[in-house]
Amino acid sequence: MRLFLLPFLLGSLLLIVLPALITVGVAFTKYNAIQPPVWVGLDNFRTLWNSPLARLSLRSSLQFIFLAVPLRVLGALALAMLLQPAGRLFGSLRAAVYLPTIIPEGAFALIFLWILNPLYGPLNAVLGGLGLPTPDWLLNPTTARLSFVLMALFTIGEGMVVLLVGLKTIPKVYYEVAKVDGAGAWQLFWRITLPLLTPWLLVLTFRDIVVSLQNTFTPSFVMTYGGPYYATTFIPLLLFELAFDLFDFGAAAAMMVVMYILTGLLVIGIINLVGLNTRDDVI
Amino acid sequence: MTSSEQPRRSETGPSGVVRVQSVGLAVVAIAVATIFVLPLLWMVTVSLRPVGLPPPRSVEWWPGDPQWQNYAEIFRLLPMGRYLLNSLAVAVVAVPLTLLTASLAGFGLAQLKDPWRSRLLMVTVFLLMVPPSAVWLFRYQMLSWTGLLTTLWSLILPAMAGGSPLLVLLFYWTFRRMPAEMIEAARLEGADALVAWRRLAMPMAKPTSAATLVLAFALFWNDFTNPVLYLYRPQTYTLPIGVQILKQMDATNWPLLMAGATFMTLPIVLLFLVLQPLFLSDKSIHALLEKG
Repeated sequence: MRLFLLPFLLGSLLLIVLPALITVGVAFTKYNAIQPPVWVGLDNFRTLWNSPLARLSLRSSLQFIFLAVPLRVLGALALAMLLQPAGRLFGSLRAAVYLPTIIPEGAFALIFLWILNPLYGPLNAVLGGLGLPTPDWLLNPTTARLSFVLMALFTIGEGMVVLLVGLKTIPKVYYEVAKVDGAGAWQLFWRITLPLLTPWLLVLTFRDIVVSLQNTFTPSFVMTYGGPYYATTFIPLLLFELAFDLFDFGAAAAMMVVMYILTGLLVIGIINLVGLNTRDDVI
Repeated sequence: MTSSEQPRRSETGPSGVVRVQSVGLAVVAIAVATIFVLPLLWMVTVSLRPVGLPPPRSVEWWPGDPQWQNYAEIFRLLPMGRYLLNSLAVAVVAVPLTLLTASLAGFGLAQLKDPWRSRLLMVTVFLLMVPPSAVWLFRYQMLSWTGLLTTLWSLILPAMAGGSPLLVLLFYWTFRRMPAEMIEAARLEGADALVAWRRLAMPMAKPTSAATLVLAFALFWNDFTNPVLYLYRPQTYTLPIGVQILKQMDATNWPLLMAGATFMTLPIVLLFLVLQPLFLSDKSIHALLEKG
């Protein structure tokens, strides 16, 4: 029976673990994928630190994570709460919300290139019709980054399904007892739903820190190619350019290591923050 | 929502209030769900506009005169048939392979005894957190050493690792609920592990298999990054690259771009719509948790 695990473990070792680890080693070398790597110590990191583009990319990526991840997790929670009732209608609505998640990324990026067109895109047509401001979206650095956050908010179907499963794990009795005690809907949410859902929300948040940034690659490649003024050159696109345009595998690997470290720090930070909070609640 | 047994007159009053509330909730839910479908609707609408017509000045919900020949036009401009065949070839090999490796691994994991089971679970969850871009560089190297670069195998390869650790976990969660005695009994009757997996485990896992089928198909069919990284010969291009070429040819020809996008999106959406009741319905979300 243990043999059943062999293809998965072997495949993961060869295709995920080894490549990810070797990348860490490559970060300390000069390597162009043709000549053998040469050890250069921390040179790649120094180069990145002195590169305005790398710093801008890091800043944009962090901005994106800090905006998109909380909004995506809260959005998934709101959708799960809204669409949890049983019945055919709500089943179809869940399917509708899930739909953008399975659309090919390339197609999705093209659709949003149309939607966000400042002159004839439907978004500005709707906003204009309502008398609201109609930004230039992808043409302006700030709104371009916001556009990427907006797009990321359409693909939260998976998070919604995870939280729907999480909601079902909460015993109905808790709500009934609280209702007898006279708790309102708002209190039920704060006192029962949210605390019991916290582990699910945490897992979702951790995965989203990795996944949401990664998912900017295709839109930034298709829609803006990193522009305007490199505003949407998030880390994955920069990595791609360093490695496959400039063949500077060493610098690309160093960028990757910086990303590992930042992700790790974020995860540890959140664990500390939430860990303390839940302890307070218990007391 | 059930009307309360002993109505407390002061608050909820007659069940009419409850009904108004739930109708209001349904209206909000429908409105929100509509927003998520709009991008898809606009994609189809634009794909049917006449080529060369100036873009609309207001929101266009459906074209006045649908141009279905736009879809024929993209086949005339590019070898879309070739790209389609390549995409299909990848999916036909990789999706069943993914289902096989992921379900076997999930079953094996569920049957393991504890120190190793939780250790391997940790590893699987950890694998889930490795960003795909972390493996781009070295996978490129590995593919070029083995001569698989620019072949469709470079896209199929992840199937050998179960597609994604998430799919392995899905199967694990399903099989974990299978009573261990069932497998033991089957063994005593002389059935080996493979037979137990095929005859006992897999028939139990229909919703999971349906979900995995959709997710695995999406993983390979939608894949944009791997073809960009590893395919250089036009004979091996897949549909997402084809649509990207369409954009490079004329980025302002929206009807044809959207025709390409719609053509690429249709199969996965159809598959999803057919299979989603199996795993998004109330029953299956419940089923995931029975005897959790």
